[in-house]
Amino acid sequence: MSRKYRIVLAGNPNCGKTTIFNCLTGARQHVGNYPGVTVESKTGGFTLGEDEIELIDIPGIYSLSSSSPEEGVAFEELTRPGIDLIINVIDSSIPQRSLYLSTQLAELHIPMLIIFNMSDEAKKKGLKFNIPKLQSYFGCSIVQTVGSRGDGIDKLKTALAESLLHLEDHDVPKLTYGADVDDAIREIVQWIEPAMTDRVRHIPARFFAIKLLEKDTCVMRMNEFQGLDAIIDAQIAHLYARHAIKAETFMADCRYAMISGACRDAISFTQERRREISDKIDAVVTNQWVGLPLFFAVMYLMFWFTFTCAAPITAGIEWMFGWIQSLIERFWSPDALPVLRSLTIDGVIHGVGGVVVFLPNILFLFLAIAFLEDTGYMARAAFVMDGIMRKFDLQGKSFVPLVLGFGCNVPAIMATRSIESERDRRTTILVLPLMSCGARLPIYVLLVPAFFAVKYQAFVMFLIYAIGVAFAMLGARLLKSTLFKGDGEVYLMELPPYRVPTAKSILLHMWDRGVMYLKKAGTIILGVSVLLFIANNFPEKTVFDADYGAQIMAVAADTTLTPEEQATAVKRIENRRRAEAAEYTISGRVGKFLEPAFKPIGFDWRATTAAIGALAAKEVFVSQLGILFAEGEVAEDALEDEQESLRQLLRRAYTPLQGFCMMLFCLLSIPCLATLAIIRRELNSWKWMFLEAAGLFALAYVTTLVVYQIGLLLKIGTNYLL
Amino acid sequence: MSDNKTPAGKAGAAVSSSDPAECTLADLPVGQTATVINMKPSLRGKKKFADVGIVPGVELQMEAHAPFGGLLRIKVMESSLSIHRDDAANIIIRKQELS
Repeated sequence: MSRKYRIVLAGNPNCGKTTIFNCLTGARQHVGNYPGVTVESKTGGFTLGEDEIELIDIPGIYSLSSSSPEEGVAFEELTRPGIDLIINVIDSSIPQRSLYLSTQLAELHIPMLIIFNMSDEAKKKGLKFNIPKLQSYFGCSIVQTVGSRGDGIDKLKTALAESLLHLEDHDVPKLTYGADVDDAIREIVQWIEPAMTDRVRHIPARFFAIKLLEKDTCVMRMNEFQGLDAIIDAQIAHLYARHAIKAETFMADCRYAMISGACRDAISFTQERRREISDKIDAVVTNQWVGLPLFFAVMYLMFWFTFTCAAPITAGIEWMFGWIQSLIERFWSPDALPVLRSLTIDGVIHGVGGVVVFLPNILFLFLAIAFLEDTGYMARAAFVMDGIMRKFDLQGKSFVPLVLGFGCNVPAIMATRSIESERDRRTTILVLPLMSCGARLPIYVLLVPAFFAVKYQAFVMFLIYAIGVAFAMLGARLLKSTLFKGDGEVYLMELPPYRVPTAKSILLHMWDRGVMYLKKAGTIILGVSVLLFIANNFPEKTVFDADYGAQIMAVAADTTLTPEEQATAVKRIENRRRAEAAEYTISGRVGKFLEPAFKPIGFDWRATTAAIGALAAKEVFVSQLGILFAEGEVAEDALEDEQESLRQLLRRAYTPLQGFCMMLFCLLSIPCLATLAIIRRELNSWKWMFLEAAGLFALAYVTTLVVYQIGLLLKIGTNYLL
Repeated sequence: MSDNKTPAGKAGAAVSSSDPAECTLADLPVGQTATVINMKPSLRGKKKFADVGIVPGVELQMEAHAPFGGLLRIKVMESSLSIHRDDAANIIIRKQELS
């Protein structure tokens, strides 16, 4: 008969829980080599024999208490009724530290299965475990695995099935903390046992007694245990008198003493411990003098890699869209359903194609970020950058989310949950949209080559990113010295050993991102492109202010002009006609209406409508320009390369200063809707979301205004630099 | 395990502070090893440090100082932790003989 079980995966940060979770459920949750990758509980399911299993992956914790947001989530999940089994994943290369949590989980008296993960690393270190001894100690089965390679997963499933058969008569751990402490625990148990309500009865009173001895705030606040302060304080005072150690750390001390006893018995070294490679790398990477220059070199390499590797593939995609367009143009006669034909070519292909072209850039950027995450370098980057971050009133932990922001702001904002200090977390979230995300990249990749000579391109690109970072830092400083004033929290971060990332993990991450980007191109961007196409074309103008036909005839009849001059004059008249038609459309009207407001920052009505479209997703800025210019004007000589012909049109319409201002505005202005939604969720406030949007708009507008006006005044970038 | 941890209790708290080998963790030079003696009452987040293994009697090693002074990297129980100098200044240690 098939039964259903609820199993929770618990363990230290970065011990490989999510890898085990993925192995068991076949899910593809993101794993990375730094603490705090999993910030919220995730649920997955799988079948074992005939049984159905619901597996819950909770954030990594060092202790079962509530001293950080992750611990709060984990504590709540683990003390909820209805858990059949806990799978405790430990990094067996650091058994002493990892088993600390196991002792606390064992106190819950919920059936448990311990996974000694990363057993290959333990073996390399020369650690040897007496598994039967450890099993009797913790009263549960222990399985050794190497999650990253999938080793031991079959054994794990067998052990799991076995454990599920013995849920009713599972072993109880033999954990003692010494006579004095055990006496104190028993004393408190006597008092709280009558107070236990149904809500908590599935957990032994002993567990709560220990938590109360530790003065755990979460348990102290529970209704059941009010009014016991005097009794608990008396026990604490009694223990303090004998051992001279304060209450909060007393149990920690006892547990480590107990584990150290267990380790002496059951864990041995088979060989001389060698200095790990990880330490050798760290001696350089976290060095006081070399660390920072090395970090900047890594960042530079990341962007260099992104652009260099993507270039040939981008060309391939462009060629493909050009080919599709030429096919349609050849086989779809302009007379059959002309509006739909134009929608397909100018709306869909120019809109969506213009965005898909940047897929390689995005993929390589994510590949680079995933590589840095999985090797463990991110935690080091946080370490070496902490000093600089503190100058802006942020801290090292804010740093990883900020770098992730270069990829996409949405997961980056989620990653801020690993920051304990609420003030730092809020500050980081609010400045994060200033980190130029992957979706803004297409805008720069289009505009930079359009307006700047090759030798300036890399510099301008760097400048844009640097401006975003500079504003983020200044913004953080401003927020921390006004709205989020106060002392910082305790800083504690583990630096995980370096690991060679598995190709599978990195490629999967890149693949998932790529699919997400394409989905966005196929849904939001396609939809917005169609809407914009309609707005760009309707209502259609039938009666024109001037009789352009007559003007063209007049030019053609003028025999004083050479044929070239005639052609140019005709083109000019046709462009005037197109411009008049475009201004008559919805986009034209909206753009024209708003133009006076955007003119001072260098935007014409077309750029204005593109900026409005960019609210849905930043890439729309590119597709809107693509659509508008595809319609409005004809390139002088039809170029093979579609991007290049759009760039030529842009070059004719705007000055480099205007191009730069467009990039600046897109960088700083209101982030995309997805980012705003996640900001609302993470700050749990509509007010903050609107304030953020308004604040960023104001920042973007004022900055761009200043740059454009000064540029005009000093005549910088009003002509082409070649 | 080599990191010997004395059982709770035989607290080193009573050791006289005139011991020349005794100082705070913030003053431990890079590369040197020390044993944790006690925490000053002014240490914030004692429980957090205890949870990751910084308890009296534990052996630790200073691995590196971060650029611009703020953070320290120390090795405790086989893992690398970064903590802030201000907090380290509240952890009293005894330096071990250089071997």
